[in-house]
Amino acid sequence: MPSSKFIVYTFCLILLVAVLAVCDLCFGSINLFLVDKHDPLFSTIIFDIRLPKMLTCLIAGSGLAICGLLLQSLFRNPLAGPYVLGVSSGASLFVAIATMVLTSVNISGMFFVGKGIITLFSIAGAFFVTLIILAVSKKTKSNVTILLVGLMLSQILGATQGLIEYMSSADSLKTFVIWSMGSVGSTTLSDIWFIAPPALIIITLSFTLIKPMNAILLNEQYAQNLGINIHRLRISVIIITSVLVGLITAFCGPIAFVGISVPIASRLFFKTSHHLHQLVFCILIGSAVMLTADIICQVISDQFTLPINTVTTLIGSPVVIYLLFKSKLSIG
Amino acid sequence: MIRLNQLEIGYTLKQGHISIFKNMNAEFRAGELVGLMGDNGVGKSTLLKTITGILKALAGEVLLNGKNLNAYSSGELAQHLSIVITEKIGGFNLTVWDVVASGRTPYINIFGKLGAEDEQIITSSLEQLSLVFLKDKFIDELSDGQRQKVMIAKSLAQQTPIIILDEPTAFLDYNSKHHLFKVLKDLCEIQQKLIIVSSHDIDLMRPYITKSLTLQEGNIMDIL
Repeated sequence: MPSSKFIVYTFCLILLVAVLAVCDLCFGSINLFLVDKHDPLFSTIIFDIRLPKMLTCLIAGSGLAICGLLLQSLFRNPLAGPYVLGVSSGASLFVAIATMVLTSVNISGMFFVGKGIITLFSIAGAFFVTLIILAVSKKTKSNVTILLVGLMLSQILGATQGLIEYMSSADSLKTFVIWSMGSVGSTTLSDIWFIAPPALIIITLSFTLIKPMNAILLNEQYAQNLGINIHRLRISVIIITSVLVGLITAFCGPIAFVGISVPIASRLFFKTSHHLHQLVFCILIGSAVMLTADIICQVISDQFTLPINTVTTLIGSPVVIYLLFKSKLSIG
Repeated sequence: MIRLNQLEIGYTLKQGHISIFKNMNAEFRAGELVGLMGDNGVGKSTLLKTITGILKALAGEVLLNGKNLNAYSSGELAQHLSIVITEKIGGFNLTVWDVVASGRTPYINIFGKLGAEDEQIITSSLEQLSLVFLKDKFIDELSDGQRQKVMIAKSLAQQTPIIILDEPTAFLDYNSKHHLFKVLKDLCEIQQKLIIVSSHDIDLMRPYITKSLTLQEGNIMDIL
């Protein structure tokens, strides 16, 4: 893709994300235009509720889309994604364990200790599953086997999680069930201070993988012959994916669809293989998808807020199916 | 350029080594088009993988310009040796330009930014194989013969003095096979590259090659 085209597309997407971010701040159960700007309620709604929610959408959307892009390129399979490969389920299970432990020893009141432990557990869960998937990928060259192992792992982890939920107390069960529906609305401004720095560092680090990622699209042997250290690349993708999925899952719950479909949509829409372009597009499209989903969750009813997973899946899947049929070329 | 010194090739498993071929001694120089022949399973691909550093030698050594292959870093090796293998590539919006541009990987920065000189080298590689008119096409849209030529153009863009091709004629029709060998012969004669090709098409390959290396059961190696 020529640089001029890339700049124009990037500018248009930034504009789209900016408009959606403003809309996300404006829409909600209370009509902001009816509230006096000097009323403390106004700043409470903006700074304590809607701004953290909007920033969470940006972090979760861009982070999950990047994970999907990196996993799809590494496995050279468009079906790879944090949710399909069981990485999100690993994070979920470990969060379930952490939630149960924390509520039983009652330290969840200590904000940073509680959040910190949950986040660490979540990252460890994601790391654990990514390691298993990579070990399998070293044993077999078949992408189908890898994806099936991911799906099976996801089932095993889900079942184990169900077992833990079944045996847990009513209080911890409630906390966990609400979390597992996926939500960007429960984060506070202090949470953002906790998630944003590591997420931004990791997202920035993913840009250092552009060259090896471009090379690995050919295949591993060609990439190796082009001087790429495959082992180092795999480890880098494990670390980036685990930290991002772990962080996002700890605060928003397991979010489906975004990780797998944003990179697919981006590849089908902007027909480029270069990872500089794809990383930028995925960050912006991921953010736009999450913001749109959140806006729809808010405007559909002022009585209740829909779980974000329902909206991302219901709107996004048909779009990807449409793009797949419209495109004459295979994407993987 | 390349010297095999008492080389033993094979695979290393947890249980131990599986030796495929022993006591290989040979020398290949710049400008030679070497045909590697032999039955299935005799060790052609294993030899090529060992020469390119993908597999480690079980014993003996591969010398590249007088230096043991293991002494080269992967980045250095990428500037000496390029490969064209049978496995098909495609998908992910890869265009002919992208694939040929990947040959510049050892020379560009971590963000994958191509300089004016890189672009010139890519264009010249495409020109040498008459592929310029296809440069914006997706790899998936090409015929097998065109794909092979694109992979050779990638090797040219990689600017390595040695190119190694494993069964490049496997999916090609008769005319495309001849055309491919003509291209390879020209590269050896004009650019003094050392090209090693493995193929089952012995009769077809014979008029083009300058040296043949035949592997047979029982560690017998004929060099002509």
